[in-house]
This record gives sequence, C-alpha cells and structure tokens, in this order.
Amino acid sequence: MVIAFVRTIILYLFIIAGIRLMGKRQVGELEPSELVLALLIADLAAVPMQDFGIPLLTGIIPIFTLLCITMILSVLTMKSVKFRAIVCGRPSIIVENGKLCQQEMKKNRFTVDELMEELRMKGITDISTIKYAILETNGQISVLPYTNQLPVTAEQMNVTPEDVGLPLVIINDGRVLEHNLRTRGFDRNWLEKQLAQRKIRHSKDVFLLTVDEQNRVYFVAKENAK
Amino acid sequence: MKRLWIAAALLVAIFCAMLYNTHFLCRFSGELAQALEQAEAYAEQGDWRRAESMTRQAYDLWQSRDSYLHITLRHADTDLIYSGFREVLEFITCQEAGEYSAANAKLLTEIELLYEAEQLTLKNVL
Repeated sequence: MVIAFVRTIILYLFIIAGIRLMGKRQVGELEPSELVLALLIADLAAVPMQDFGIPLLTGIIPIFTLLCITMILSVLTMKSVKFRAIVCGRPSIIVENGKLCQQEMKKNRFTVDELMEELRMKGITDISTIKYAILETNGQISVLPYTNQLPVTAEQMNVTPEDVGLPLVIINDGRVLEHNLRTRGFDRNWLEKQLAQRKIRHSKDVFLLTVDEQNRVYFVAKENAK
Repeated sequence: MKRLWIAAALLVAIFCAMLYNTHFLCRFSGELAQALEQAEAYAEQGDWRRAESMTRQAYDLWQSRDSYLHITLRHADTDLIYSGFREVLEFITCQEAGEYSAANAKLLTEIELLYEAEQLTLKNVL
C-alpha cells in the first residue's frame, strides 16, 4: 500500500504542474484541446496509481507527452489564426438582430432549450431584445443586447461617481501583507494607529483590512477578538 | 516561440529515449537468448556443469539490469522471466533433459516477447 501512497503523491504533483502550464482558465472555459488533455491526464494518472504491476513511467511518459503537445498547440494557436480555427473552431452567431440562426444552431448541435437556459442565466427572457448571441469556442454564450436595451451608464446620465480604484488587502486573517502596505505608501506605525482607533491591540485580531486608492479603510475584526 | 522549441525538444527527447529503450531491449534480449541457447547446446552434449554456468551468467545479466527493467517493463512480465530462470536452473540441477529443454524454450520465448512488445511496428501500434 505504501507504493500507492508514494505514487499518488508523485502523480498528483506532476499533474498539478501540468495543469499550471495550461494557464488560469476555469474548467468550464476549456478549449477542445485542453478538455481532451484534462480528460486524458485524469485517466492516465489513475491507472498506475491503482495498479502496482504497471511501472509509474507508463503513466508519466504519456502525461508528459500530452503536456508537450499541448504546449506546442497553444503556441501555434497563438501564432496562427488559421491553426487556431482548426484546433479551437470559430465562434458562431446563434442570434443575429433578434432572429435565431437555425443553420448555425444545427451545425453546432445547439438546441433551443440550451439557448433559452443560457439566456435566462444572463437575465434575458426575450430573444428579440438581443442584437447578437455568439457561441464562443469554449462553449460559453456571449450576449450583446440592442443598444436601447443596455443599462444606462453614469456617463450617459452626466454623473461623475467617485473612482475608488482597486482596494488592496493589508491584513488577511491576522496576517499583515507588508508588500501591499508599502504599495499604498504606509508603514507599521500608520497601521498601528488605524488599529488603535478601532480599539484593536494586535493585527492578529483583524480578519480583513483593506485600503483603496482614496486611502479609505475597510475594516472587519475577527469574531470574539475584542 | 521559445516555449514551442522547448516543448518540441522535450518531445523529441522522449521519442529518442523510447527508441533507445527499444534498442537496449533488443540487444539485451539477444545477449540473454544467446547465453541460454549456448547452455542448451551444452546440456544436449551432457555437459550440465557448463550449461548451469551459462544459465547463471544469463541470470546474473538479467539481475544486473533488474531495476531498469522493473521501471520500464510491466512487473508481471519481469516476474515471469525471474521465475522462468529459477525453474530452468532447478531442472539443470536435477539434470532433467526433457523438462529443462521445455522450460528453457519457454524462457527464451518470454524474453523475445519482451522486446517484441516494445518494437515500433504497425502491429504493436494497432
């Protein structure tokens, strides 16, 4: 059984490294080639993990080969539009000017039920309000409503809301993130003053403390800390 | 583009390593088969001492590569050859000509099959 333990650790670390190479995509956003890679890796790893009669290399070599091929394909798809179209396919317009493109739907084996489900998930119930609905290569649907159906923006209403920018986390579950503190141009003394104002003695008693670009502080103490 | 070349180089390196493995198995199984056939020839002449010596030589050669073979081949296959050697050596000790000849032929076939399974042929690919 110790073989299973060691093999599982090796294969797990190996696959984590491989998935990291794939980038930061979510599983639901995988391109066809990446989906195939994920499915194959899972299966290839499972066999030598369970069957000790098979050398570990018979799992590692195919996984390594797949990762190399995926890397080559990803570079080629970045370099060549034609190659990208072959490997990943092209986006398909499913709805154009409020009308369903039945040929495209048939070509992509995309049913009306699936389309309605996707639209409902995006808060749209009326197809006639859609200018374009595009089936992307990763299987997601992008919906572009008519301009008159879009929400009103602050600019259109001549309102100038305050831009708070990106809040940086300074204390995360009791840990002070020194890099973020310095990025905002503050030091430990400033932080201690902020904590003292909130009657907190130690940063360990803070659950979350963020500072935005306007230097506004958002503070949450740990429960039962005070 | 650098990533492309690194991945391509790694792919070629894996392929070359696999080809080397096949070449190694071809040479290795050839050496083993030669020693076992020589041992059988001695046994047919009634020289059991030299037959045992040649078989032990082949067995030692097998054991010297035990780790590599265990890493690259299915364990069931390597175990079968290991037990085959033990069987052949036992028949030599007992000087059972008929039984020895059959066990030796079986061992030779198992060794040949090891290499054949790794050969890059259409038959194996399909």
